[in-house]
Amino acid sequence: MAPKAPKAPKAQPKAPDPPEEYPTISAKLQAEYLASRPYQVLKDTKGLSNLSASEKAAYANYRFLETGVWKTWGAAQQKEFLKTVETQKIPTPLPLPRDLGRDNKGREIASYTPEGFAQFRKKERQLSGLRRESARFRERREKARRKQKGRGIEDSEGEIEDERNRRKFIGVLQGKKMGIYEGDPRWDDVVPIPQDDGEGALAAIAYSDEYAEAMGYLRAVMAAKEHSPRVLDLTEHIISMNAAHYTVWLYRASTLFALEYPIDKELSWVNEVALENQKNYQIWHHRQLLIDTLYPTISSDPTAIHALETSERDFMTQMFDQDAKNYHVWSYRQYLVRKLNLFNTTELQSIEVLLRSDVRNNSAWSHRFFVVFSDPAYCTPGSAATAHDPRIPADIADREIGFAKAATFEAPQNQSPWNYIRGVLRKAGRELASLEAFAEEFVKLPSESGEGEDVRSSHALDFLADVWAEKDETAKADTALRLLGDKYDRIRRNYWEWRRGLLDAGVEGKMKGLSVEDVS
Amino acid sequence: MTFPIKEKGHRHRVVFKRRRMPGTNPPSSSASASSTLDRALSSDPQDLHQQPGFVIEELPSGDEGLDFLSGGLGHPVAMATSAAMIPDLFTTPPCIRDPLNTGTSQLQDETIQECLPYLSGAEYGLEYNAQGVPHLDRKRHIPFLHKSLRNLPAPYVVADASRPWMFYWALTGLYAMGEDITQYRDRLISTVRPIQNATGGFGGGNGQMSHLAPTYAITLSLAMVGGEEALDLIDRKAMWKWLGALKQSNGAFQMSIGGEEDVRGAYCAVVLISILGLPLELSPESPSWSPEHTTLLSGLPEWVAKCQTFEGGISGKPDAESHGAYAFCALACLCILGDPRAIIPKYLDVPRLISWLSARQYAPEGGFAGRTNKLVDGCYSHWVGGCWPLLEACLEGPSPSHSSSESYSIKKPALEALGRSLYSREGLIRYILCCCQDETKRGGLRDKPSHNSDSYHTCYVLAGLSSAQHKWHFNATGNPMEAGLTRSSAYQWTSEKVVEDSQIYDEEDRVRTLHPVFVIPEGAAEEARAHFSSKEAF
Ligand SMILES: [Zn+2]
Repeated sequence: MAPKAPKAPKAQPKAPDPPEEYPTISAKLQAEYLASRPYQVLKDTKGLSNLSASEKAAYANYRFLETGVWKTWGAAQQKEFLKTVETQKIPTPLPLPRDLGRDNKGREIASYTPEGFAQFRKKERQLSGLRRESARFRERREKARRKQKGRGIEDSEGEIEDERNRRKFIGVLQGKKMGIYEGDPRWDDVVPIPQDDGEGALAAIAYSDEYAEAMGYLRAVMAAKEHSPRVLDLTEHIISMNAAHYTVWLYRASTLFALEYPIDKELSWVNEVALENQKNYQIWHHRQLLIDTLYPTISSDPTAIHALETSERDFMTQMFDQDAKNYHVWSYRQYLVRKLNLFNTTELQSIEVLLRSDVRNNSAWSHRFFVVFSDPAYCTPGSAATAHDPRIPADIADREIGFAKAATFEAPQNQSPWNYIRGVLRKAGRELASLEAFAEEFVKLPSESGEGEDVRSSHALDFLADVWAEKDETAKADTALRLLGDKYDRIRRNYWEWRRGLLDAGVEGKMKGLSVEDVS
Repeated sequence: MTFPIKEKGHRHRVVFKRRRMPGTNPPSSSASASSTLDRALSSDPQDLHQQPGFVIEELPSGDEGLDFLSGGLGHPVAMATSAAMIPDLFTTPPCIRDPLNTGTSQLQDETIQECLPYLSGAEYGLEYNAQGVPHLDRKRHIPFLHKSLRNLPAPYVVADASRPWMFYWALTGLYAMGEDITQYRDRLISTVRPIQNATGGFGGGNGQMSHLAPTYAITLSLAMVGGEEALDLIDRKAMWKWLGALKQSNGAFQMSIGGEEDVRGAYCAVVLISILGLPLELSPESPSWSPEHTTLLSGLPEWVAKCQTFEGGISGKPDAESHGAYAFCALACLCILGDPRAIIPKYLDVPRLISWLSARQYAPEGGFAGRTNKLVDGCYSHWVGGCWPLLEACLEGPSPSHSSSESYSIKKPALEALGRSLYSREGLIRYILCCCQDETKRGGLRDKPSHNSDSYHTCYVLAGLSSAQHKWHFNATGNPMEAGLTRSSAYQWTSEKVVEDSQIYDEEDRVRTLHPVFVIPEGAAEEARAHFSSKEAF
């Protein structure tokens, strides 16, 4: 790189001509470094022995300068030395350019163009200025907070806004967006707690920066047991990223209750979240906690209860439009029926709407059974679903049997109404045989010559097998079970064979009467 | 109603033909898959439309006619041989089908059409044995589970509160497929340590509230990898206090403080109490303590009993709908509390329960559904399938002195005669091996062919497979009625292979055994229990 030193021994050794433009800042600094040691360059190119006497003298003086040995000399000698240096026009050698390191994107700063480097330096100065200002702002707020003993401090909105913008600017300058909470002065008093994942954690999730930061703040507010409006914002934010986070939901609930936040407002927010997260169940428990809190405040106001009943039912209808068998929604509905005492015809009609659109919706059947046979107006409290309840009015049982029968005619192979009918008969303490004629509408056993067999419902056949066992018509029961195993429900053959075995043992009839009460 | 088949290469669609006359006889049970196909291939199309079941209809673009065999369904020869070995039960739609179409029946029909090519030995990418059953593709499923324990990308954030399940599912599945899971011991220990809370129990991750589900998953994972360091990292005293705080005066357990209460809670809690050998007494600090309610188990089986519905199955909590997952939780919970021969009939209506469980198995799919009128799903191979060993033990033990349970107990020879089971092991195994294996390079097991595999389904499908391939025995000691809440009955199970002459899968496809109550490697719960019972009380 270094240009050839001039040949004329008397001539001043010239520093290598710096090119007008350097490709990089490091090239520029290197050139400047060499330019400040012309005699070193001269010696390196020509070799010491080829230097003229004056060049040798100048080189020696340069060496004294470079090593700093002249500083150890006496004052007079020093003075003489500096004079010579001046006469010989030996420049002061610049220190070796230091390593400029890398920028926040990992790029070698040395590879910047000189202009780029100047801009970089300017940005750095700007950044450190902003950081100083930001630090002063935090310090001031922290002091005020200590004075207020942790209670909210009043800062002018303007000042907070300025600081927020300052941090945004810092983020832009440093080329790395500042986190939402790190950039928000309202969260300055919280020191986020990073996640402790343990060494070589299994199934570690590569969280987004946004999620990781928010969770760090959540751990911190939970550790401080903080229940404040900003916790509602924080939990809403996390739920928007991960609705299946039970801790966040539970903490949000306790915060809502601590703040006496308006429940109706929360309910409508939860509606939106639920519609977007069909499979999530935390939402439904959260909703239940909300109703538990709301109910005592409106329990003596029938209008308010009615309004709640209507809006909840409407909302569940929306949910059922997307999935009419959503287990969590149905479980919530059962809870709500007990809580608001919805054992009424509106509830039954609402289920009938669902069954009209799909008579095979077993969730709807199951809910109907609960509504009809848990109604405190006529049911024995705590009566098991599989047990006889002597208080069930006959007309209710008749109505339900009629309802299920009608559904059975629509689709005889639909198991739901068959299970329902068995359930009703058990509740009402009636024999299965009371519906023998009905079940026979779907079943014609073959004659002895094997003719006339017509089975339109395996469930009817199953039902009749029990009816006939109940009536000790064992041969017929056995035929029914055999037909099931051999033809109409072959996948369950072992089960039907087991039932046949019970028939042989003559315990089928006894078995049917068996209920929880009988055993305990 | 027609159903386009999504698989590439198909140029026809299968039409599900409803029966026009409700009184028409179903096709004879002797009609085999191949004869149905023969009919389809040889008959006049007009004829076909009068047959119930499915027939083939050309798409306008199709130019190969009724090429059900060669139109993209693999090697015709292989197909023909295997189809002949597959009982038509698994290759033809059910013989009774109502004309009425609803959302439920539509989904059910679609599911049957989705599964039939897999069940008929006709699916691309699968290699079938002579019985029309593919091998268990361990070389793809094992890496799938190992991978699930490595770093996960950002979309897994939705699993941030259920990460401990990932450990449990992967370890259980890997063990079942023959892997050495102790290789994960050290990393499991360092992973779960920061998840434990000083107030007892584990959360879904560091800094999350304790919850019974992750606590169950982590405790069982630690028991699986075993070793003193793993077991002793659990703070049992804090756990006991925390369980006391979850206990409700109605007998149930909340999943977390202030959280929901359901049958999962009952099962998870008794698993912890049992494996960790925790004292039964309820801390008087517990909000549910009263002079009548003094133990962690007070009122618990009574509460579980309230979850049995009019259908006979078990719901998540009283008043709700019967659901397969809760049936397993309820039965397993009871089998920890006492001798299955006594405790199950004491608290549940066994005949109705068996009837409901049995109705969960469908044909032609062969697998289990979770609820009445819902679809088959691989995970119920465990949730419903796992109920059978418990119920069979309840039925087949030497008759207890208790009179009413005697009335339907079944003598051992009788069950032997039933292929030693109340359900169709063959149907379940066919569904698992034909329909639940991801046949792409992804690997893993799944809900049904149209669904992606995941570690949850991989675990529970394999657990179901294991249960279908083995027979469990409850080794009774003494009179079950006198034993009461013995707390030892969960440790009296032993297994043996189910070996049949007509076994439909090859011996190499048999997976290892998982404890019927704890669902971890056979022996692991016993070892953990022994470790903790040697500890002094705290
Ligand atoms: Zn599933």
